[in-house]
Amino acid sequence: MIRRTLARYGTALAGVALFAFFALGSPVFLTPDNIALILKETAFLGILAIGFTLALVTAEIDLSIAEVASLAAVVTGALVHGGTNPWIAVGAGLVVGTLCGAANGVAVTVLNVPSLIATLGVAAIAKGFSFMLTQGVAFVGRWPASFTNLARGTLLGVPNLIWWLAGVGFAAWLLVKWTRLGAHLVATGEADEAARLAGIRTRSMKRLALTLAGACAGLTAVLLASSLSSAAPAMANDHFLYAIAAVLLGMSMFEPGRPNIPGTLFAAFTLKVLGNGLVLLGAEYYWQDIVLGTIILVSVALSATGTGKAPFVKKLNFRR
Amino acid sequence: MTSLLSLRGIGMSYGAVTALRDVNLDIAAGEVVALCGDNGAGKSSLVKILAGAQAPTAGTIMLDDTNERFRDPQDALRKGIATIYQDLAVAPRLSIWQNVFLGSELTRPPFGLLDKRRMAEMSRGFLARLAVDIADMETPVERLSGGQRQAVAICRALRWDARIIIMDEPTAALGVKETAQVLDLIRRLHAEKHTVILVSHAMQDVVAVADRVVILRGGRKVEDRPVAGLTAGDLAAMIMQRAA
Ligand SMILES: Nc1ncnc2c1ncn2[C@@H]1O[C@H](COP(=O)(O)OP(=O)(O)OP(=O)(O)O)[C@@H](O)[C@H]1O
Ligand SMILES: [Mg+2]
Repeated sequence: MIRRTLARYGTALAGVALFAFFALGSPVFLTPDNIALILKETAFLGILAIGFTLALVTAEIDLSIAEVASLAAVVTGALVHGGTNPWIAVGAGLVVGTLCGAANGVAVTVLNVPSLIATLGVAAIAKGFSFMLTQGVAFVGRWPASFTNLARGTLLGVPNLIWWLAGVGFAAWLLVKWTRLGAHLVATGEADEAARLAGIRTRSMKRLALTLAGACAGLTAVLLASSLSSAAPAMANDHFLYAIAAVLLGMSMFEPGRPNIPGTLFAAFTLKVLGNGLVLLGAEYYWQDIVLGTIILVSVALSATGTGKAPFVKKLNFRR
Repeated sequence: MTSLLSLRGIGMSYGAVTALRDVNLDIAAGEVVALCGDNGAGKSSLVKILAGAQAPTAGTIMLDDTNERFRDPQDALRKGIATIYQDLAVAPRLSIWQNVFLGSELTRPPFGLLDKRRMAEMSRGFLARLAVDIADMETPVERLSGGQRQAVAICRALRWDARIIIMDEPTAALGVKETAQVLDLIRRLHAEKHTVILVSHAMQDVVAVADRVVILRGGRKVEDRPVAGLTAGDLAAMIMQRAA
């Protein structure tokens, strides 16, 4: 019983302990401004990571999320910068993300390229297009408030970014845990062949999940551009490892060994707490990367040895 | 005698290989029919045809005296034929109810969200019908014994109200005790008037539960007779017999 609880909530508790540690260690940490800052940072990371989670639910890995987000941000930025109606720019960003996700899906399910490779290819293509569009420079400017409010505004006193995160998180959770479609996504990731024999269209499920991952990257991009009033190639790259770490760390809590939305969200928050706290305590910036890498290794080691190997871990052994 | 399932002149060729030739078979409702034969005799080929996983290259299938043609496994399932494959039947890390309702989950108005409670309750009911006692429907199937796993797979067939349940080598990977448990499951299905087609290499299992035995050899049906009065040794001899 205690063991079960520890497996479920152990790493989550460690996150809470970390939070307490920083609260005691730094006078600034617990201030409302700082907490709001952490939550806003969590929004970008969380939404991007939710996309990765959905792909991983079907046992596919999307390494293109960051480059796709950068491309979508650049497209949105270029349009806003050029004076296009912000809503059209936002729509374009979302469409670009979704299309890149769909491209991943087609590469994996129609062309039979393993997602590890397919998404690397799409990432490289997205990166190329980002630089082509910007010619290497960034779009920066005084952009219309209707656009920047998307990320910077507030609703009922709560920053919009937090609403976005809550909305996307809730929708993804509802999808995965409470809908037939979600059950089919999970079954596809858990047991491809058994799911297919049970009449689940597993290829469509994988395509859908990868497409949703792209859509999440598109939304992250729009929010990033809106928040920063700028768009540049590679602008989402910093979030790449963080997003993967959030998903993998999230797999160590709540539903051990499985990609799960609450885990991803809580882990994303914990990682941002960690980054923020380390800075407040005066740690050199490179410690963040070292800690992040360690978290990734330990999380995967946990899901590789814990209760029942996660299907994606088996897949990474390339014994398809 | 009217039969539930009739096969007429079924043939199956994979390119140059002929796996089945001119197979005629009638199965009445409520029968347990064992399908036997040496390796390569054509058992799996026939099962795949009945399961809707492949179309025969010759012959016709009749259900209730009407011609049928299965587009895919889902189609066969809808028409009342459920097939339980040996190892691919379950998703190990998913729970019992998730496996029973795999691909055919129940939802509930007004939002069309999953009705988890009802699926768990129904799963418990199906297991009770098979006299299998498992407390928690949330248990991942990987934590069940081999026999219990077969029971979960059979529950999926019950969920579809399948009239014909095909089991491909259900005891091949099981120990003595678990084999006895699976044979018990088959007897329960028999008692509930389900029709069962049992593919097996284990002659003692056939003798224990089947009403009738059909033996294939080289893709042809060479025996089709009641099991009563036969021993496992007799059956083995029939299967091994060389020249027909
Ligand atoms: N997909 C296929 N392509 C080509 N040949 C096949 C295919 N499936 C089966 N065969 C051939 O058809 C014949 C019958 O095979 P089948 O699998 O039906 O036999 P079986 O009775 O199930 O044997 P076993 O006891 O070994 O499972 C064999 O000669 C086999 O090699
Ligand atoms: Mg076979």
